[in-house]
Amino acid sequence: MDTKWKNRKKAISFLIFFLGVSLTLGGLAGIIKNKPGRIRLWQADQLFEGDYQQSYRFQEYITGRFWSLLSMATGYNLESICGYNGYGSYYRSFGGYEDNDWSDQLYVYEEELEIYRENLENMQDNYEDMLETLEEMQEGGSGGDAENYSWEVENYRAEIEAYKDEMEAYRAEMENYRKETGIYRDDAGSDQTEEKSAAFDQKKKEIAQKYHDWIKGDKNLIYSVSYDGKELYANSDHIKADSEMTAPEGYNFLLYFDGEEVRIVKDGKELELYGDGYYREESDWQEGGGWYVPGYRNFPVSETMKKAKIILAAAEEPVLYMEGYGNGGSGQYDNSLYWMNYNCQTNQILLKKDALYLALGIALLFLAFFTRKNRWEASGNIAGVQAKIWVELKGLLLLGMLYLIFWIIRTSNLQEGWWQELTEIYFSDYYYYSGESLRNFGEQILQNTHPAAWVLLFWTGWLIWNDLRYNKKIRKSSFTGKLYQAYSTKSIAWPLARRMANRSRILLAAAACYVLLMLVMAVQWCSGYRSTIALALLAFSGTAGFLVLAYLTGKKNVETARDMDTLTDCIGEIRNGNYTEVGERFSGHDLENAMAQLEDIRHGLEEAVAEQMRSQRMKVELIANVSHDIKTPLTSIISYVQFLKQEEGLPEHIKDYVRILDQKSQRLKNMVQDVFAVSKAASGELPMHMEALDFGKLLCQTLADMEEQIEGSEVSFRTELPRIPVMIMADGQRMYRVFQNLFQNAIQYSLPGSRVYVSLKTDGTMAVASVKNASRMEIDKEKDFAERFARGDQSRTDGGSGLGLSIAQSFTEACGGEFSWETDADLFVVKVSFGVIVDDQKHFSAV
Amino acid sequence: MGECVLVVDDDREIVKAIAILLEGEGYQVLRAYDGLQALDLLSSHPVRLVLIDVMMPKLDGLSALMRIRERQNIPVIILSAKGEDSDKVLGLSMGADDYVAKPYNPQELAARVKSHLRRYTSLGDIHTRSRESEIVNGRLCYKTDERVLYADGEAVRLTATETKIVDLFMRNLGRVFPAEEIYRRVWEEEAFASENTVMVHIRRIREKLELNPKEPEYIKVVWGIGYKMEKQEKSN
Repeated sequence: MDTKWKNRKKAISFLIFFLGVSLTLGGLAGIIKNKPGRIRLWQADQLFEGDYQQSYRFQEYITGRFWSLLSMATGYNLESICGYNGYGSYYRSFGGYEDNDWSDQLYVYEEELEIYRENLENMQDNYEDMLETLEEMQEGGSGGDAENYSWEVENYRAEIEAYKDEMEAYRAEMENYRKETGIYRDDAGSDQTEEKSAAFDQKKKEIAQKYHDWIKGDKNLIYSVSYDGKELYANSDHIKADSEMTAPEGYNFLLYFDGEEVRIVKDGKELELYGDGYYREESDWQEGGGWYVPGYRNFPVSETMKKAKIILAAAEEPVLYMEGYGNGGSGQYDNSLYWMNYNCQTNQILLKKDALYLALGIALLFLAFFTRKNRWEASGNIAGVQAKIWVELKGLLLLGMLYLIFWIIRTSNLQEGWWQELTEIYFSDYYYYSGESLRNFGEQILQNTHPAAWVLLFWTGWLIWNDLRYNKKIRKSSFTGKLYQAYSTKSIAWPLARRMANRSRILLAAAACYVLLMLVMAVQWCSGYRSTIALALLAFSGTAGFLVLAYLTGKKNVETARDMDTLTDCIGEIRNGNYTEVGERFSGHDLENAMAQLEDIRHGLEEAVAEQMRSQRMKVELIANVSHDIKTPLTSIISYVQFLKQEEGLPEHIKDYVRILDQKSQRLKNMVQDVFAVSKAASGELPMHMEALDFGKLLCQTLADMEEQIEGSEVSFRTELPRIPVMIMADGQRMYRVFQNLFQNAIQYSLPGSRVYVSLKTDGTMAVASVKNASRMEIDKEKDFAERFARGDQSRTDGGSGLGLSIAQSFTEACGGEFSWETDADLFVVKVSFGVIVDDQKHFSAV
Repeated sequence: MGECVLVVDDDREIVKAIAILLEGEGYQVLRAYDGLQALDLLSSHPVRLVLIDVMMPKLDGLSALMRIRERQNIPVIILSAKGEDSDKVLGLSMGADDYVAKPYNPQELAARVKSHLRRYTSLGDIHTRSRESEIVNGRLCYKTDERVLYADGEAVRLTATETKIVDLFMRNLGRVFPAEEIYRRVWEEEAFASENTVMVHIRRIREKLELNPKEPEYIKVVWGIGYKMEKQEKSN
């Protein structure tokens, strides 16, 4: 219920707005269109008077008629003074103009006579030339082929005779024509001027009479023309050409010319005609300009005019004057004023209607102001509907609408010919239009165009504005967009190769089409169809379309290539153990799938590594805790064994037991420390102190440190170390432990009396230290010696913790070195290698 | 009666063992089994030195150490199963004078206690009589004019060569000397197979002045580079 009411309110409010705007615009445009020409829009009091005499056309008509009558009075050639053919489109269908070719004919006759004369002269010249040629022929004829020649001369003579006859005939024709037309003028021609001018005067009088006959029937305009005190023409007895200016009942407009100046009395009031006394040309053709009549200071009357007196009066309410024919038909007189008034009254009705519309529209707009909130919602709803329409369709609709408006404007202006003018403004090279006339031109369009055009134009604009205001993403609902989207969703399932191949194919096809189009264009061009606008448009849109397609395809390919780079980088990062999230998703890209899968792999690896680290750390923590727990009781054991050792007077065998206890507790202590160290090293949690050190010196120092142990053993050491320093990057303390362990192993497990070889070799980039010893026991080839608690024999009765090699390996690797061993029969070889620090200075000194 | 030493550990057997050890050396030993107990005993007895475990019930060793440091400046030796460098650094930075990892060597422990007590009681503040001719480094003091090295106030018997090496080290605390350089400067000959010779002498010096020659605190090997006299941060 509520929503229904709400919807109704919205609809009503929008309807109010719609009608208000349409009526206001339509009314305004209508008033502009239908208002009398010389009245401005703001002169509202005159707008609705409906006085046809206020119009510009009336002024034009009256001045035209005044000049005609003046011509009739003074005997000027009527046509040449009046100079206009027709009363404008307004009257064309009713008034028309009488056939007045008698005036033109006069000139035509004279022109034709002139042509006759000229032709005749030419003929005479030719004749004389021919005679001369004949004479020459006769003189020079003696030397040539006489017989043949004389025949030729005879022939020519006959020809001349024929020409002479022809000329005579033409002369006769001309004389005939001259008689017919009554123009007595010939080559001699000046003596008969009087006779000729009299004929002209006669002709003029005939024309004036004809004109008088034509206009006198229209009693809407009564007039009296006199010259030199004698009344020449008048179509009413009730009017006299004198300064009293009396007019019969029903005639409210009087114009009187007394040979000096013109006076106009309208509704008993005299009009101010001359202004400041100067006539300006523009005021003639400009609407509402001054009267084109003599009497201005710069437009005085001529001598002949001074004798003329003219009065004319126009009816207040003209009626239709007709003339009945004998056969029952009828013909209308001039009646210009009647039709002028008729149209004026019709316009008044229209104007009143327009005013009503305007008032109603403004009232509705006022109402619309109070219902604006509902209207805004309605606008939103309309925008919602607009949003669903494809943008292409909207463009087509807009084009159609614009064409419709254009068509309306064009058809309503076609008669005025502004269309031609428009084309001339824009397409003619030598047609100059000043700003002033363009303004008039605009006014003209405003006046002529049907108001519906403006209303339509406004609503078209409003719809566009509404769409832009509410639908920010206009492109969202586009047909091509949907098509592309459908294609993308379908193609995403295809393998990448097919997608890219399809893209190339489309581009190739487009290129082929484009080349074809261009070829057609070229052919057309060559065959001369240069000005075909449709073809040019096709070429332009074809080029644009192809470029857009090429750009889009290229963009997509570049995007894919970039993605490939990113993907490769990601793989590299993962390979290097960097599992941080990349963050790029490539949504909608070609490689979206690949990226997602790589992301899965990365995530899995990250989890696995984290899990491994966690378990490693837990293991280290466990070992740390266990070793702490072992250390505490071990402390007591060691302490009390110490006391036992210091006890005196113990039996010998008890002393032996205490010695064993001491030994084993010490060994346990070492073992606990080793286990802790090796587990820490393996988990990478061992704190390292890396520094540049001399590998050779490290070996020397370690050997020196263990000198006592070595001397006390059954093996001897042989060293082979380079003289120059071999610098490596390592933690000295840890590497000392590594070699200590290795040497201890060598001492412990070597064949008694054998030699242990310690050597350091470098090739400039890698330094390899090796420890070789002959094993006391047979080496099990399958054994992994660096495995924790691994040792040469399985019995585990000797002193080592079994962690020596393991610690050595862990520490070496923690320092960034490589640890390896190999066995050859009973020869056991351990190799520890590090990258040599390339130091320029050191290198230099070595060279 | 000797000086009063407080031993704190939650393991009664360890406390007993240390007590036996130290009583054998002539000290009077007070026993405590947690931090609170230790603080009680400290306030009621004239304790000269504290041996304290870290992981204990009620109040752990480091917290107790901080409480002790609020009132007293007596030597405190931490005794802990945690033997990592980081643990040692933490303990020493909290105000301990020494850090001994379990399982300890009884002789070493006794020697450390003796050293700290002697420096604390009989020597007093070593800085008050410090002179130009003396170079002090931790518990070592080298008199340059006499060319005699004192450890905990007692003269160390050194041979002529050893004295030369100690002289070099004490005058250049913290500097690393390659074996060749030591050889050249001490023996005043061109170095040849110097590593072993130098090492033998250094080992002997260590045995004379280090409390635990296997884990030297003063004369250290910088592996792959040379040897140096470690400069002790805490030199009181």
